[in-house]
Amino acid sequence: MTEPAARAAGAAMNLERVPNEEKLNLCRKYYLGGFALLPFLWLVNVLWFCREAFLAPAYTEQPQIKSYVQRSAVGLLFWVVVLTTWVTIFQTHRARWGELGDYLSFTIPLGIP
Amino acid sequence: MMITFMNSSDSEEEACNERTSLISVESPPAASYQDGLQAPEAAETQTYRKRHTGGSCSPSDADSGNSDSGLPVRDIAVDNKEEELTLKYGAKHVIMLFVPVTLCMIVVVATIKSVRFYTEKNGQLIYTPFSEDTPSVGQRLLNSVLNTIIMISVIIVMTVFLVVLYKYRCYKFIHGWLILSSLMLLFLFTYIYLGEVLKTYNVAMDYLTLFFVIWNFGAVGMICIHWKGPLHLQQAYLIMISALMALVFIKYLPEWSAWVILGAISIYDLIAVLCPRGPLRMLVETAQERNEPIFPALIYSSAMVWTVGMAKQDAASRGLTQQTWDSAEDVRDIHDNPAYVESEISEARSPAPTHPTTSLLEELEEEERGVKLGLGDFIFYSVLVGKAAATASGDWNTTLACFVAILIGLCLTLLLLAVFKKALPALPISITFGLVFYFSTDNLVRPFMDTLASHQLYI
Repeated sequence: MTEPAARAAGAAMNLERVPNEEKLNLCRKYYLGGFALLPFLWLVNVLWFCREAFLAPAYTEQPQIKSYVQRSAVGLLFWVVVLTTWVTIFQTHRARWGELGDYLSFTIPLGIP
Repeated sequence: MMITFMNSSDSEEEACNERTSLISVESPPAASYQDGLQAPEAAETQTYRKRHTGGSCSPSDADSGNSDSGLPVRDIAVDNKEEELTLKYGAKHVIMLFVPVTLCMIVVVATIKSVRFYTEKNGQLIYTPFSEDTPSVGQRLLNSVLNTIIMISVIIVMTVFLVVLYKYRCYKFIHGWLILSSLMLLFLFTYIYLGEVLKTYNVAMDYLTLFFVIWNFGAVGMICIHWKGPLHLQQAYLIMISALMALVFIKYLPEWSAWVILGAISIYDLIAVLCPRGPLRMLVETAQERNEPIFPALIYSSAMVWTVGMAKQDAASRGLTQQTWDSAEDVRDIHDNPAYVESEISEARSPAPTHPTTSLLEELEEEERGVKLGLGDFIFYSVLVGKAAATASGDWNTTLACFVAILIGLCLTLLLLAVFKKALPALPISITFGLVFYFSTDNLVRPFMDTLASHQLYI
């Protein structure tokens, strides 16, 4: 592992000291990573680059960062809706499903449902 | 890293030993005194950034450049400023480390108090093979000492192994090892933890949601810790994995062994960091020689960004440095000292091109400073407080006493760090205080308070 890589790997990031191309790169990577069933990554992307994309003074890469942040937000919203519906359905109907409910369950609460 | 399975199904362990007993690191000051120029780098605490001392002129140049005082007066002023800075940074760093240590302990204590799983005896680790269920006190003591010896030798072996690997630049192996162990922490231990918490609160959870949640948590954790991510998220993940590891230790270490191990490991920490041939010291020195950061998965860093003290407030200085950071080089601090700041204000208002020192300022950059604390320290602090919460007869008194003791110890350690400016072991002072407070509170204060309460005597 070369020295710069050693320093970059796992470096705690403070966005102010990062050049714009790297910011764009990071934003893009986080956006692409979120497609691996990782809405949390999209959430982090939105929160982290929100200030850069919308509140910072304009620079060349900003429109692209803005688009990535917006797309991440859309994806995040989608997953939130999906998860909320599924959890609601599961929690309310679990007892009624009988065997399927038990099979799907990781923890089964004690007591009367 | 070894995974070993003992008698019961739940006992898994990881030799997390590469994380034990690392240190708060600070670099020596780069005090470059040139004629009439100052370099107030007294309290720089970020070891692993390249320092280019070529461009290291400070805004105080403006001050000294314009002052009429003679050179000796300026030198004395320099010394005083440096001491002030040192102590001020010491104080800031103490606060910066209080928060994560406190958070870690809160998580551990909250879990111990609510989730019964972590206080149930369910087998032991392979590293502590001697059981403590013996009839006689002497036998029990002997067993705990033997357990400690085995545990400490395992830790020593692992640490030496790590240092040897580092010295011979087997970075891939170390990286793989760290990734594997963080994977295990982030996925397996979180799975167990989540399962137990859900069982405690009697909540139903299906496999799909569970898989999803753990996958997200773990994957983002791996990205944040081993690659790049927002600082606060990385810090949060490090705190969480320290708490998880501490919980494992609390569950699987038998009573007396735990206390003896805590004592022994602080002694080991002292030796490993301060002795010239100590493995941890060699690790730090090698890293410093090669100008590399120690692996991120082992260290919590509370980085602050300090900007050039060229303006009166943070915002203004940040504005200035954002324009000029591109060609920047070195680290400077905000000088809160009002008298000092005013002279700088007058400098800042003078037209830039005509003033020589502002052009030097164009070449200055923000750099991170902060204190680094090893994850092993987090883990063992939390083990101490968690064990106090789990087993003490006095409910919250003992826990709080241990908590306060550890924080006091941390304060003292950081003070020493500010004074000595080199890597120091963070465990010994805190653990000693913690142990003293635990045993004295448990055995002296608690019965005292009980007797007072039963006699309705309030003091």
